[in-house]
Amino acid sequence: MTTFVIAGNTLGEALRKKILWIFFIAAAAMIVLSVSFSQFSFRGEMTIIRSLGLGLLSIVGLLITLVLGINLISVEMERKTIYTILSKPVRRYEFLLGKFLGAMMTLLIQLLLMSTVFIFLVTWKSNWDWKGSIELLKGTVMIFFQLLMVGSVAMVFSVFTTPVVNFFTTSAIYIVGNLDLTDPMMHSKLALQKMFYTALHYAIPNFSNYNIQNKLIHPEVAITGEFNYYAINVAYAVLYSSVLLIIAVLAFEKRDM
Amino acid sequence: MAIAVKTEGLTKTYRLFMQKKPVSAVSDLNVEVAEGEIFGFLGPNGAGKTTTIKMLLGLVYPTSGKAWLLGKPAGDIELKRRISYLPETPYFYDYMTGAEVLSFYGRLFGYKTEYLTPKIEELLKTVGLYGDRDKPLGQYSKGMLQRIGIAQTLINDPKLLILDEPTTGLDPLAHSDIRDLILRLRDEGKTVFLSSHQLSDVEMVCDRVAILNRGKLLKTGSLKDMLAVGHVEVRATDLNAETIEKLKEYANSVEKVANCYAISQGDGECIDRTIDLVRQCKGQIESIIPQKRTLEELFVEMIREVNK
Repeated sequence: MTTFVIAGNTLGEALRKKILWIFFIAAAAMIVLSVSFSQFSFRGEMTIIRSLGLGLLSIVGLLITLVLGINLISVEMERKTIYTILSKPVRRYEFLLGKFLGAMMTLLIQLLLMSTVFIFLVTWKSNWDWKGSIELLKGTVMIFFQLLMVGSVAMVFSVFTTPVVNFFTTSAIYIVGNLDLTDPMMHSKLALQKMFYTALHYAIPNFSNYNIQNKLIHPEVAITGEFNYYAINVAYAVLYSSVLLIIAVLAFEKRDM
Repeated sequence: MAIAVKTEGLTKTYRLFMQKKPVSAVSDLNVEVAEGEIFGFLGPNGAGKTTTIKMLLGLVYPTSGKAWLLGKPAGDIELKRRISYLPETPYFYDYMTGAEVLSFYGRLFGYKTEYLTPKIEELLKTVGLYGDRDKPLGQYSKGMLQRIGIAQTLINDPKLLILDEPTTGLDPLAHSDIRDLILRLRDEGKTVFLSSHQLSDVEMVCDRVAILNRGKLLKTGSLKDMLAVGHVEVRATDLNAETIEKLKEYANSVEKVANCYAISQGDGECIDRTIDLVRQCKGQIESIIPQKRTLEELFVEMIREVNK
């Protein structure tokens, strides 16, 4: 119950952050303007609109996650609000989970708002073919689960580090997670190098699994065992985030405020 | 009398980055606060007051030693239903209104709207913010924030209040209101653990105090006993030379102040003797005043002595 009170408060505060609405307005404007951009491209109009829209959802979603994630705990400490909250009958893990839940709810709302603009535009440009446009929601869902993991990474670091350090560390993990590490892992000649890539490969999730833009931009491209693909990746994201949250909770329990 | 706060050998040391020697914030602190009293927790900046308070609240873990509040170990979650805390210069979510922030803190206790609505109204009236209840906290002055901070400490009708500098930033009128409120809380049977630099406030409201310096307890006890200097000043007029000579034989001092003599002496027997001598020479007693130091004098004297 307390977790939800804190989550609701985090959501309320986050939705009042001007920066998030600037991101949203900029993304929505870019999505709408993609109609004009498509005239300058040799590629099909719908390809440009879909590609730009999904790309923007991903980038703006990442920025929102970073802005929210890196400040989750540090700002509460800096403003001393954490002292009044934790002096009430609130367990530390309830506070932490409430903050995370609130941040992820904010992300979801922002992604859904941007997706609404995007899907509406695609539907309009495809002569109100709703069926094809709704497919794009799969992209939003996968972006959300990808960012759920990024948010958990930021949460863990927010327990230990300053927002600046957290920003660079989380961003670095996001970038590395989008690289294909299989090749260097398999073909490294030095044992130490091989160990390093293997450790990265297993410790950092493969974020590129959640980038299904190719399939959504080109409907003719099919994913083999599509349902299983989504289910496995969503389950992996939930599991990975849960493990990170447990780590964050354990670290937060031991920390002096 | 039941004990509201008890610490036994409470110690906190911090290990700083790249430094071998740990820094001691609080060292072997033994304090007892009785239920229903206002206890002043004093010390210069960096004395370890806030660290101690954080240990009492379970926000900071002690390196060694233990603390109990209302018979429960510090940090106990059920205990937190019966205590409250006001941090120094509190900050609250500035997008919320005064009423919303109290509702938020109330909901952390699991209170329902039926309880909260009248309670919030009552608290806002108590701290004089009822007229500003719908203003966002971003528009509140420092004094108003301090008042809303005090209101949030009362949302759960606590048995023990831990207040860290509750009068900081308040104008004289608000200052006086908060002092009265603290006294009223004691009259209602609540215990107040008050950390403050406002020594005049502490002197006016506290029953007992503890003085801390560099993490160590210098002195604890009843304020009355600590401030008493053990002598009484009798002021008298119309004294003749012979009487003055007699007084000088046993009094600590006899000084002419304005149009009267100030005779300073120790025990009750001396006072009786002085009164008799003044009456015998047909002099007049103007006043009999037990002398005491101010808390500020005592505090400054103790800290300077230790820091020498």
